[in-house]
Amino acid sequence: MRIAITVNGRAYARDVEPHWTLLRFLREDLGLTGTKEGCGAGECGACTVILDGKTVNSCMVLAVEADGARVETVEGEAREGRLSEIQQAFDRHHAVQCGFCTGGMIMSVRDLLVRNPKPTVDEIKAGIEGNFCRCTGYQQIVEAVLDASGQGWGDGALKVVGAAASPGAVAPSSAAAGAEGRLQHA
Amino acid sequence: MFREFEYAGPATRGEVHEILSRRGGEAKLLAGGTDLLVNIRAGVARPALVIDVKKVTAFHGTRWDAKTGLVIGAAVTINELLADPIVNERFPLLAECARDLASYQIRNRATVVGNVVNASPCSDMAPALLCLGARAVISSKRGEREIPFERFFQGVKKTVLLEDELLERIVVPASSAGARGSYRKLKRINGHDLGIVGVALFRKDGKIRLGISSSAPTPVLVEGLAEGDDESRVVAAARAAISPIDDLRCSREYREFMVEVFVKRLLREVK
Repeated sequence: MRIAITVNGRAYARDVEPHWTLLRFLREDLGLTGTKEGCGAGECGACTVILDGKTVNSCMVLAVEADGARVETVEGEAREGRLSEIQQAFDRHHAVQCGFCTGGMIMSVRDLLVRNPKPTVDEIKAGIEGNFCRCTGYQQIVEAVLDASGQGWGDGALKVVGAAASPGAVAPSSAAAGAEGRLQHA
Repeated sequence: MFREFEYAGPATRGEVHEILSRRGGEAKLLAGGTDLLVNIRAGVARPALVIDVKKVTAFHGTRWDAKTGLVIGAAVTINELLADPIVNERFPLLAECARDLASYQIRNRATVVGNVVNASPCSDMAPALLCLGARAVISSKRGEREIPFERFFQGVKKTVLLEDELLERIVVPASSAGARGSYRKLKRINGHDLGIVGVALFRKDGKIRLGISSSAPTPVLVEGLAEGDDESRVVAAARAAISPIDDLRCSREYREFMVEVFVKRLLREVK
C-alpha cells in the first residue's frame, strides 16, 4: 500500500506492507534507527515518536495508519549539526548511559515541554512514565529536563537523589537540599 | 514478528458493517491497536483482515445531552476522553479510571471502547462503566442493539458481540452524572503494569455500587447496596461477587484481601 508521510519535515511517498509497524518503516525503510524497538508491546517506550503532535509507541502503530501524518523522531532534534536544547541538557547531565531509551525518552520530554514548559519533578516523572531507562538513570534525566526547561542546574552537576516533590524544594546550588535528599557530588 | 494480514480502512459506518457481514469471522477491528497489534505480534490474534475504524468520522468524539447522557464513540482515545470537560465535571469516576490506564503514549492511542471490547478481566474502564450503568451500543448491517455492560461481558475475553457486529459507542446515562466515586488500583509501578486488583466505588441517591476488576473472569458489578449499610455488609457483598485466581502477579488470597482493603478505604474516603 502506498503511503504519504512527513518525517522530520521531509515528505516521503513509499510502498509499505499492511503488517509493517511504523517503527519498522522508520528504521528499515527510511533508515532512521534512532528510534528503538525494546519490548514491542507498549511497555518500554524506546520506540516513542510524535505522530501528528502526540507521542505514540511506534511499535503499536501500523505504517498504513500513519498515511498522511506528520512524524517527528529523535533524528529531527538536532538542527544543522547542533544538538537541541533537550539533547544538550541530556549531555550535560549524563542523562544518557547505554543510550537505548534516549531516542524515545527525548521525544516524550519534547512533548512534555510543549504541553508544560516548566514541569515540576513530579510532572516530569509522570511525563516519562511510559519510558523505561533500564540503566535506571532517571535522576539524571529528571535533572536534565529541569535544566532544559530553565529551572536550574545548568552546570550539569548531580545534586540530589530522591529529593522532595517539587523543584522549589530542591533549590539549585543550595546545600539545604541535602537535608531531605541525599547529596551526591556537586 | 508480525504475520501478514490485509488492511481495510473504510470511510463510512456502512462500509464497516458491509465488510464485517462478509468477513467478520476472519477479521479484527483496529482502533488504538494497543492490544490488537501486541496480540498479532505474539501470535495470539491471527486475523486475515484488519479493519481500521478510525477513518469513520461518526465514530469520533464524545457528546453530551441532558436526556441521553454521555456518548463515547468507538474511536475516542483515553486522552480525548480526559480532555472533555463534561467528563471531568460530571463523571469524575470515569476520568479517574482513565487517568490510571497505562502510560501517556498508550492513552494517546488506546480507546475507551477498545479497553472494554476485549473483555479483559483487568480492564481499567470497566469498573467505572459498570458502576455508572453504562450501555454498549452494538451495531451491524442487521441493525442496532443496546446492552448494559453487566451483561456485555461473558467470560475471559468473551463478550456478547457476534462476528458481524461492532461496539459502536458507549452511553453513560445522564442519571449517573454527578455521582461521587473513586477508583483504587493495585499495581507494582505507574505506567506499565496491568492492574492486580481494581475497585471503583459509586455513591449517588442513597445507592452504593462497586465495580471490581482483575478479581473474576470478567469485571464485576456489585449492586443492591445502600447508604447506611455497614462496612461489613459492603465487604461481604464484594467478597461474594469475586472469584479471583492465583497467577504470576499474585495469589488468590492476596487479591481477596486487597479488594477488601480497597472497599474499606473507598467507603471512608468517598463521602
